[in-house]
Amino acid sequence: MINKKGFEIQFNWIFVLVAGAAIILFFTVVVIKQKSVSETSTKATVLKSMEAIITGAGVSTDTTNVIDIPDSDIEVNCGRVSIGGVSKSYQSLLLFAPSLIKGNKLVTQTLAFSVPYRAANLLYITSPQLRYIIIGDSELAKEINRSMPSELKKEFHKSVPEIKNLNNYKIRFVLFGNIIDFPKALEKMPDSDVTAIKIDGNSEKGTIEFWQKEGNSWLPKGTSPYIGKQSLIGAVYADTIDVYECNMRNAFSRLNLVTKIYDERTKKLMEGAVLANQFECSQFYSNALNQLNSIFAASSNFNKENIDVISDSARLLSGENRNAQIYSCTLIY
Amino acid sequence: MKRAQIQIGETIAVLFVFFILIVIGFIFYVKVIKSNIELETEELSQLRSVGISQKIMFLPEVQCSEDNIVIDNCIDILKLNSAQSIMKENEIYYYDLLEFSDVSISEIYPDGAKWNLYSRKIENFRSKFVTNVPISLYDPATRKHGFGILTIETLFK
Repeated sequence: MINKKGFEIQFNWIFVLVAGAAIILFFTVVVIKQKSVSETSTKATVLKSMEAIITGAGVSTDTTNVIDIPDSDIEVNCGRVSIGGVSKSYQSLLLFAPSLIKGNKLVTQTLAFSVPYRAANLLYITSPQLRYIIIGDSELAKEINRSMPSELKKEFHKSVPEIKNLNNYKIRFVLFGNIIDFPKALEKMPDSDVTAIKIDGNSEKGTIEFWQKEGNSWLPKGTSPYIGKQSLIGAVYADTIDVYECNMRNAFSRLNLVTKIYDERTKKLMEGAVLANQFECSQFYSNALNQLNSIFAASSNFNKENIDVISDSARLLSGENRNAQIYSCTLIY
Repeated sequence: MKRAQIQIGETIAVLFVFFILIVIGFIFYVKVIKSNIELETEELSQLRSVGISQKIMFLPEVQCSEDNIVIDNCIDILKLNSAQSIMKENEIYYYDLLEFSDVSISEIYPDGAKWNLYSRKIENFRSKFVTNVPISLYDPATRKHGFGILTIETLFK
């Protein structure tokens, strides 16, 4: 039987145990909460950097930057950039990027989307850990290779080389000829991490076939058109047809708005030229208006037929702008 | 009072003081964190304000260009006249770029014309930043340059 003193000592120990457990629990909760806050804060910092990059890149053309960020996995979707649970949505984002950007460095590039006047800046973001394999012997293949930043892990081959697995988290094939046999060394990689595009066209326009690994072969994922080198480079960076088409639709929406402005501007220039008896100038503006109207109508939808119309009209409009320059008229764009 | 009871009383008093110190420390920590967050929010708002100003300065809808070569700090009056109505018609599209802001241009020389390019304001804003940028106003019809001020007012909740 426990005597009174023995009971007091036991109670003291139980009391110390409970108090100790309460203190440990309190600090554990604080540490766990702090860890989660710190992680969210890091993600928010990266997302903030991404926002700054998107803004900065949107205003400067023909630039390439390598940006250091905290080691993170950035997911890019149609109009959405997410890091862990933190995400930011955009209504009309023009960002061509792989679905997952891994690592502590970002490579960004911007090019102007001009058809033939600048309608928007296209932003490309990728990771230096992603491997790009360009295979082709055409001038376009060489041009695309030259246009891609040297900071990227890119390889250029005139003919199909022996492909080895270099432990990159994603591999993108850019093919300017026929689709190649699936490389044996890449069979163990996850299906979504090995993708390819097959390009058929020139620097003005053409079509892109999207392919993805399925087991030990290629699976076609769809075909989409491109207009200009800038949109073709967009297809190199965006690893799914959905992201590519979403960005191109957004670029076309912007082109539609900018064309409307150029259309009204040209009308005013024509009125001025008529009043000043500048017949040559008014003729160039009148011709340009026809082209601007067709670009305006065709930019309402992103498809192959409209790309053909825009490409032809852009060429003719460029000619009218040159004529305006020769005759010392105010330029159309 | 017995010795054991006094010991328990002492332990409770020590624990009480300990927890009081922890609570004081925690309150201090929360206050510091809160002020840091407020500072960061202010910084973020300023950053976004600069971003919006940058976007406006480089909008192809109003920027001057000569054979597709962009002229910095220059706004084309003919584009501006058209952009004024088009941007109003497509306010939701431009909200994604310009958020809650008011963008206006005042001509200083030769005339005193005014344009309001974009306006989407909120009543209950938390912070407001005003950026004034001196710009050249180019009239392609007369091929003459004027001088003006681009005022960008950004509002944040």
